[in-house]
Amino acid sequence: MIEARGLTKRYGSKTAVDDVTFTVRPGQVTGFLGPNGAGKSTTMRMVVGLDRPTHGTVTVNGRPYAQHRSPLHEVGALLDAKAVHTGRSALHHLQAMAATHGIGAARVHEVIAMTGLESVARKRVGGFSLGMGQRLGIASALLGDPHTLLLDEPVNGLDPEGVLWVRTLVRHLAAEGRTVFLSSHLMSEMALTADHLVVVGRGRVVADAPVAEIIGRAGAVRVRVRTPQAGRLSQALARGGVEVTSTGPDTLEVSGTSAEEVGEAAAAAGVVLHELTPVARSLEDAYMSLTADEVEYHSTSGPALAPALTERS
Amino acid sequence: MTTALTDTRRPASTGRPAPGGSGLTFPRVVASEWIKLRTLRSTVWTLVVTVALMVGVALLAAWGFTQAAEDGGGSAAGAFATTVGSNVAQMSIAVLGVLIITGEYTTGMVRSTFAAVPTRLPALAAKALVLTATILVVGLVSVALAYLATLPLLAGTGLEIDLGEPESLRILVGTALYLTAVALLAFAFGALIRHSAGALAAVLGLLLVVEPLFGNIPLAFFREVSPYLPSTAGSRVMMPDEFNAALGGEAALGPWQGYGVMLAWVAVVLAIAAVLLRRRDA
Repeated sequence: MIEARGLTKRYGSKTAVDDVTFTVRPGQVTGFLGPNGAGKSTTMRMVVGLDRPTHGTVTVNGRPYAQHRSPLHEVGALLDAKAVHTGRSALHHLQAMAATHGIGAARVHEVIAMTGLESVARKRVGGFSLGMGQRLGIASALLGDPHTLLLDEPVNGLDPEGVLWVRTLVRHLAAEGRTVFLSSHLMSEMALTADHLVVVGRGRVVADAPVAEIIGRAGAVRVRVRTPQAGRLSQALARGGVEVTSTGPDTLEVSGTSAEEVGEAAAAAGVVLHELTPVARSLEDAYMSLTADEVEYHSTSGPALAPALTERS
Repeated sequence: MTTALTDTRRPASTGRPAPGGSGLTFPRVVASEWIKLRTLRSTVWTLVVTVALMVGVALLAAWGFTQAAEDGGGSAAGAFATTVGSNVAQMSIAVLGVLIITGEYTTGMVRSTFAAVPTRLPALAAKALVLTATILVVGLVSVALAYLATLPLLAGTGLEIDLGEPESLRILVGTALYLTAVALLAFAFGALIRHSAGALAAVLGLLLVVEPLFGNIPLAFFREVSPYLPSTAGSRVMMPDEFNAALGGEAALGPWQGYGVMLAWVAVVLAIAAVLLRRRDA
């Protein structure tokens, strides 16, 4: 259980984390989702006492992290895949970490096997790929067999097999009753991995709800219609509650109605349809709409996101 | 890569604290720091270089003394010749003292260290302890090797070292103590500055530039302050009494007073570093 209350971090005049309150519960995977620069890493560093909050508190299992007598048994953290001395081998790194808590050699070899690092354990970390570094970070996090796991962007740099491995691992850890808090800027990954989401943008929590609810909240269904007579169809559909947006020369997106009704309206107006597709809102859409105002670094070109952005709750 | 997913929590041997089993304690943090120190090649090489410098320079100095063909100078002068390598060895020692801590900051290792030891000060203390013990032992071994290596050269020159003579013994042991204090001073600057280049510049600048400069500027202020600078004061513990008297005049610090002044510098810088260590974000 991780409880953040009014957590705030300022660097000079810049506020990285702004009055953030959330609870991460055991037995499920909680995703911490937000664009780059939203304050995810800073928040996670504050959880394990590496950064000092400007205001607010965060506790792990009821106490500030630093007050635990055996911190590595409470929380396993992957904060930065590069939090390892590059001149030391993976094995020696894990041995040094384990030694602080009197964790035996057996457990060190266990986590090496678990993360698939046997073949490189005696190599210096400086030569590791990003994926290997991530695996070593996860091995470190698992050393103390902790109740709570804190993983900052664990799938960064992993190949598809590694991504699947992390997904299965965190689901398994949560199923064992552990608290798993996992950050990512990839909503697609979160849709597959997390049960619950805390979404942040520009340092603020913009949503804190089960994954299904966040997808649902952003609106149920839109209908994509392709027709050479887009203008006439728009007129035929024009009535209260129906919103029609042109997304291409002969493509419309219709919300506030169903595919059946659009088809019937087209038939009644004698409009030829080339395509009629209901589009379920993805987590990606939901995420975009939630964080639209919160993205720190907007790209100036690219597809217009406007249609999805109008219905922020 | 195949990985065993279903094995995160084994029934028998896990990392969970058993009664009287695992958990964070200071001796364990010391053990961890000892593993860290000996598992970096740079540390090992720096120590090897230190020993080589101590012995090599001792041989050169002993040979030089025999060529000078004066009537020796006694046991204390012999001990001084044997330990004069500390002048160069202190550089490699300072580098080690700095890197042992700044290496953690530059690589990000410090976040792992502080995640394991979130109160931080035990980690700093354990590092200092491991460094002190290591440099003390390496210093004593270097002096012993230098003594043995120069035995044949010094024989019959009037510079034979009498280990039973307190002054000579003080010079020999004092050299190891001085090198240890240099390591700790460098470590303290490293903990304070946190960047390898910055901390190295500060320590080596102090030892190689600032202190000699203060000693050579013929103004009252610099002359007054100079004897109390860390290395100038501390190095008295490895000098013959005769040199100390010649260097310091009447107000000269005694060898142990001088060493005490150096330790006080170390304590002050380390204390500032410790306070900041608790406050700063890692």
